[in-house]
Amino acid sequence: MTIDLAYVLELVLNGLMLGLLYALIAVGLALIFGVLQIVNFAHGELMMLGSFTMALLLPLFGLSYWPSLAMAVIVTALVGAAFYQFFLSRVEQTEFERSILITLGLSMVLLYGAQYIFSATPRMVDTSWGFEGIEIGAIRMTWTRITGGAVALVAFAALYVLLKWTQLGRAMRAVAQNREAALMVGLKPRVVSRNAVTLAAGLCGLAGGALAPIQLVQPGMGQAVIFKAFALVIIAGLGNIPGAIATSLALGMLESWIGGFYDMVWQEGSVFVIMIVAIILRPEGLFQARGMRVG
Amino acid sequence: MKSGLSGVGAAKVAAVILALAILAVLPLLTSSNYLLGVAVSGLLMTVAAAALNLVYGFAGLLSFAQLGFWGVGAYCSAITVMDAGGSFWAGVLVAAGVNGLLGLAFGYPILRTRTHAFVVATITFALLCNLVARDWISVTRGPLGIPGLPPPRLLGYEIEGSARFFYIVLGYAVLALCFLYVLETSRIGLTLKAIKQNETLAQSQGISPLPYKLAVFTIAAVITGMAGAVFAFHLRVVDPLIFDFYYMQTFLIIVIIGGTGSFWGVVLAGAAMVVLPEALRFSNDLRMVIYGAILVAAMLLMPRGVAGWIEDRRLASLRANLR
Repeated sequence: MTIDLAYVLELVLNGLMLGLLYALIAVGLALIFGVLQIVNFAHGELMMLGSFTMALLLPLFGLSYWPSLAMAVIVTALVGAAFYQFFLSRVEQTEFERSILITLGLSMVLLYGAQYIFSATPRMVDTSWGFEGIEIGAIRMTWTRITGGAVALVAFAALYVLLKWTQLGRAMRAVAQNREAALMVGLKPRVVSRNAVTLAAGLCGLAGGALAPIQLVQPGMGQAVIFKAFALVIIAGLGNIPGAIATSLALGMLESWIGGFYDMVWQEGSVFVIMIVAIILRPEGLFQARGMRVG
Repeated sequence: MKSGLSGVGAAKVAAVILALAILAVLPLLTSSNYLLGVAVSGLLMTVAAAALNLVYGFAGLLSFAQLGFWGVGAYCSAITVMDAGGSFWAGVLVAAGVNGLLGLAFGYPILRTRTHAFVVATITFALLCNLVARDWISVTRGPLGIPGLPPPRLLGYEIEGSARFFYIVLGYAVLALCFLYVLETSRIGLTLKAIKQNETLAQSQGISPLPYKLAVFTIAAVITGMAGAVFAFHLRVVDPLIFDFYYMQTFLIIVIIGGTGSFWGVVLAGAAMVVLPEALRFSNDLRMVIYGAILVAAMLLMPRGVAGWIEDRRLASLRANLR
């Protein structure tokens, strides 16, 4: 089999894009799990919310990209804060099933609510950039894709700075590592949890907003991504942020490669097969030794 | 069993006989295919919910893999009939066999994980089933699905029409629910509850949790798969929509509202949750919004379901009487 260099490069770039967007979702999941010990089932729906906000606001802002994206992030983050305030704050750390079922209920309300209001029909989202892009040799990428990738990269850099060097982020890491000790040094776990959920929701809104012009926007789009993100955080080890990013990127590339050379079945199935193998080899996740502590 | 002759026990037996009698004459009371269709899907979903109750309510395993088993069962029976030339009955048996093997093979690795990872792995399993159904076109015929399933035949006699099909479903539902009832009220049911309440303590009493969990996981897979296999012949078509998360959410709602670990609670909730919205004729989306809101409200206010709430009331009144 001869391998075309341009084709390989295109696969790598597409894989990188996919991986970065998976990573935005997976990082939010890992953050919420690390701080609150909750697996957030409504995470995909938060992303969908971001996409719909983007899709609905773009025409209002004369199709300009940045204000709409900013609004998508803000709206989703606010919804995340409300989620915490009204629902998640009432769940104890140990009530794992209860937290899953509450977030599942919220995801149902959002998903079917969106379907009820906007119908399940996919919609195309147009920005002022249209389908313009750049061409390097035989490879063509649209601006919306490039911006999506760049936005994700900037978000990761900002997240790293936030978690590493600011009081806000240090508090989150502290609560994730040891809730009681964090309480003893004067941190308020509730405030920290609310910040973490808001931040994770904002990341979802960012991913959703950036995805809107790239993909078709429809109420079910969150579910398609969230399940893959779940598998990713399991492979990485629940609550492990660097692990989640690394796994997302690796998996995005792998999927794109497998999709480029083999059947569709294998592309979708690969995540699952890898997850099962990872669970058999290391039930606590591949990256469990370091990073955010769990349990 | 001591309460078998007491007032509550007798009332229960009477209620069951009455319910069975009503169900048995239902096709005579109505000729509406729509109503019979609602009854058929209600019965099958109640069976699937009761199987979920065995896994979640008794063994404490919040498994979303039930959705996968449900759909795999449907595909197994459809493929057996349409491609392998088998009968409806063979299809249901194939569904049982395949799901049994699948339950064992998938259950063994994931039952070793902790709760969080278990839940997420079962979800991914259900998703994978959906993707395989969509993409493995040579076997499942892809997104278009397998249409035109013929009505089942019994002794060379075609079971045409909703009324006759209804009796097959009723028969299966009664059998499956009886089996679950016997299992859950037996020593095994008690052992499962012990494992769920305190696994370490159960282990110290000489109970090894993994074989029990694996057995229950597999049994639930077989029962759910058979229900799915019958459901396929109710729909007369199988496509990847059989893996729609909607089914899983309905099973879960039934178990949660009925009360985890309560056999009768779940059966009653199954009847109520499927029949009520159909009677009120909501659109499907609005119904699921309401289900979601009920789920959130139930988890916030009544985390142990209606049966759990009644049980708490009963215990409270017992305590009050003791004082």
